[in-house]
Amino acid sequence: MTEDETPRIGVFVCHCGHNIAGTVDVARVAAEAGKLPNVVFSTDEMFMCADSGQDLIRTKIKEHSLNRVVVASCSPRMHEPTFRRVVEEGGLNRYVYEQVNLREHVSWCHMHEPEAATEKAIDLVRMSVARARRLEPLPISRVKVIPRTLVVGGGIAGLRAALDIADRGFEVVLVEKKPNLGGNVIKWTHMYPDDRTGAEVVNPLIAQALSHPKIKVYTDSQVVDFEGYIGNFDVTIASNDGKKKSTAQVGAVIVATGFEPFKPEGYYGYGKSPDIMTLAELQEMPRKDELLRPSDGKPVKKIAFIGCVGSREPGKKGHEHCSRYCCTAVAKDAAELRDRVDEVLVLYQDVRTYGHGHEEIHRLARQRRVIFSKFEPDEKPEVSVKRGKITMRWRDVLADDLLEFQPDLLILASAMIPPADVEETATMFSLTRSGDGFFNPEHIKLAPLTTHTAGIMIAGVAQAAKNASESVIDASGAAAKAAALLARGEVEIESTVSRVDPDLCSSCHTCVTACPYGAISMDDSHEPPVAVVTEAKCHGCGTCAAGCPSGAITMLHSTDEQILSMVEALLVPSPISGGE
Amino acid sequence: MTEASTQASTTGNDWEPKIVAFCCNWCSYAGADLAGTSRIQYPPNARIIRVNCTGRIDPDFILAALEMGADGVLVSGCHPGDCHYTSGNLKMQARWTILRKAIEQAGINPRRIRLQWASASEAQIFADGVTLLTEQVKKLGPLRGQWR
Repeated sequence: MTEDETPRIGVFVCHCGHNIAGTVDVARVAAEAGKLPNVVFSTDEMFMCADSGQDLIRTKIKEHSLNRVVVASCSPRMHEPTFRRVVEEGGLNRYVYEQVNLREHVSWCHMHEPEAATEKAIDLVRMSVARARRLEPLPISRVKVIPRTLVVGGGIAGLRAALDIADRGFEVVLVEKKPNLGGNVIKWTHMYPDDRTGAEVVNPLIAQALSHPKIKVYTDSQVVDFEGYIGNFDVTIASNDGKKKSTAQVGAVIVATGFEPFKPEGYYGYGKSPDIMTLAELQEMPRKDELLRPSDGKPVKKIAFIGCVGSREPGKKGHEHCSRYCCTAVAKDAAELRDRVDEVLVLYQDVRTYGHGHEEIHRLARQRRVIFSKFEPDEKPEVSVKRGKITMRWRDVLADDLLEFQPDLLILASAMIPPADVEETATMFSLTRSGDGFFNPEHIKLAPLTTHTAGIMIAGVAQAAKNASESVIDASGAAAKAAALLARGEVEIESTVSRVDPDLCSSCHTCVTACPYGAISMDDSHEPPVAVVTEAKCHGCGTCAAGCPSGAITMLHSTDEQILSMVEALLVPSPISGGE
Repeated sequence: MTEASTQASTTGNDWEPKIVAFCCNWCSYAGADLAGTSRIQYPPNARIIRVNCTGRIDPDFILAALEMGADGVLVSGCHPGDCHYTSGNLKMQARWTILRKAIEQAGINPRRIRLQWASASEAQIFADGVTLLTEQVKKLGPLRGQWR
């Protein structure tokens, strides 16, 4: 297809079952689309992403010699890759595909206004058709993938991921900021569901990683510089004392930076007595037959736990999530300790021992006569400390009674929160974060281990609070993703880069300073020098194109004309041109 | 700039403002997706145009939209520090200051344009931004005829 070929646009409006069609009059949207200039085919269909819908696109491309395809369905963040593939299978370039978001942006958020929703849908389709008319095929670029992976974080997830990749025969660079490998797990004395220490669990992994010929381990070190693109990242690693610096080239990255246990300052008397501690702090106490009180070294007779400390607090940023490991960990510790003390009390909002073998631990705790007492989320237990004596007062929901308990030791099951330097990690690897502060996956259901930055995977608690077994599952999954990329050897990269027209460039250097990636430099072979883009470094943000005062920069697939045609089609649609 | 030639649907009670919303792909577009997924209901007046980054937005796009008869323009991007491209949103913010001034000098109430930060998880903030701008613009009435 050449630039000046007359556009022949096909528009496919998706019902998404009842999701779109239940609110938007999809037949009318398709009919209106059919009236737009250059639209030679339009229809509505139950599920465009299903095999039948995909077939329909391929068939109609042939039947009507379509050279542009518009699908009006869900968010392009969901199915743009699917339909790009479909139009390619139909013989077109992927960049002549355009998607309209009728589900997330229309039917789901205007459920009670079908008329207005339909009008909005018609507008959006008209806008996208106008843009489609101006879309151009772009060359598909392929680059080689450097067969090496950077794993950031040497906890249980990072170790598993590193070993999985190395065992497949690819090199791994493992970077851990702490002096030792093993993360949080190695510090804990009782892991569920069996009763091994964290060290027993994780030490074999550490030994394997350290002796593996394919794994290079940097401890007490951090990634200080990171740039590049999928398949070709340049990494600079520096030791924390700043004395040693090394570089590596990698094709993929797995971020497994984990969490830190929340220090619940201001909760339940934490900090007011050495006998009030978090679950993580209890876990870090050495294994002994007798549990001794930190304040005076006397044996503990009565112990209490409080659940959901800094977790599940609606409206409190970073603390709204369930930390997922704590219910089972509390049940486990309570059951274990019951034999050694006179009384064990667990105050909880809910008990969610959801994992394989976890309910059995909960049941064991109850069989051993651990007392479980439920409190209301908006009526939290009160804890006071007087002359070293801890007193808890709370209302038991089931008995509807005010109760009191004086434990020798109070354990707070505190939340998993992102590490203090999570923001720097996010910036370093261009990751976005969810409301609870952990890293966003590319898609929560369909792509939970990849991120929106191509070539970068996440594993373990870096993505969300979870237990060690789940982190290891993540790690093996992310390792498989990375290994698949490395095994392929080469990868397609986005062709949506910016280009400078040297005849229009006025040598002002605005774009050179605007580019966040240093992708634009001045070509001195011209007089005066003109700006030139190194395409492999360009990420396609378009900041240069917006900043260029001479209109010399074209941001491919996001050109001024393409954007303005949408504005025009919305606001001044002409019956002849449909917004031309 | 010439007076916008477009017809706002009517100027009567049934007039509904038309709002152009430029959203960056990584934060606000995703935030708008989440608003849908979460079934958050907000006014249907905004039409979203997806750009890679708010840094891609040339102030000319906003002026053009107003000239063509948009009653309001929303620009929604990542929070400062959260930009997928490290700093595009800051470039937009810098342009915004000048843009507001230019718009004011053209006789247009700057309350017709809104710059907001809404992350991929801040569906409610995105929806509230659309609601706020829609209400603000409704009070100001159709833009047509307000150019100086």
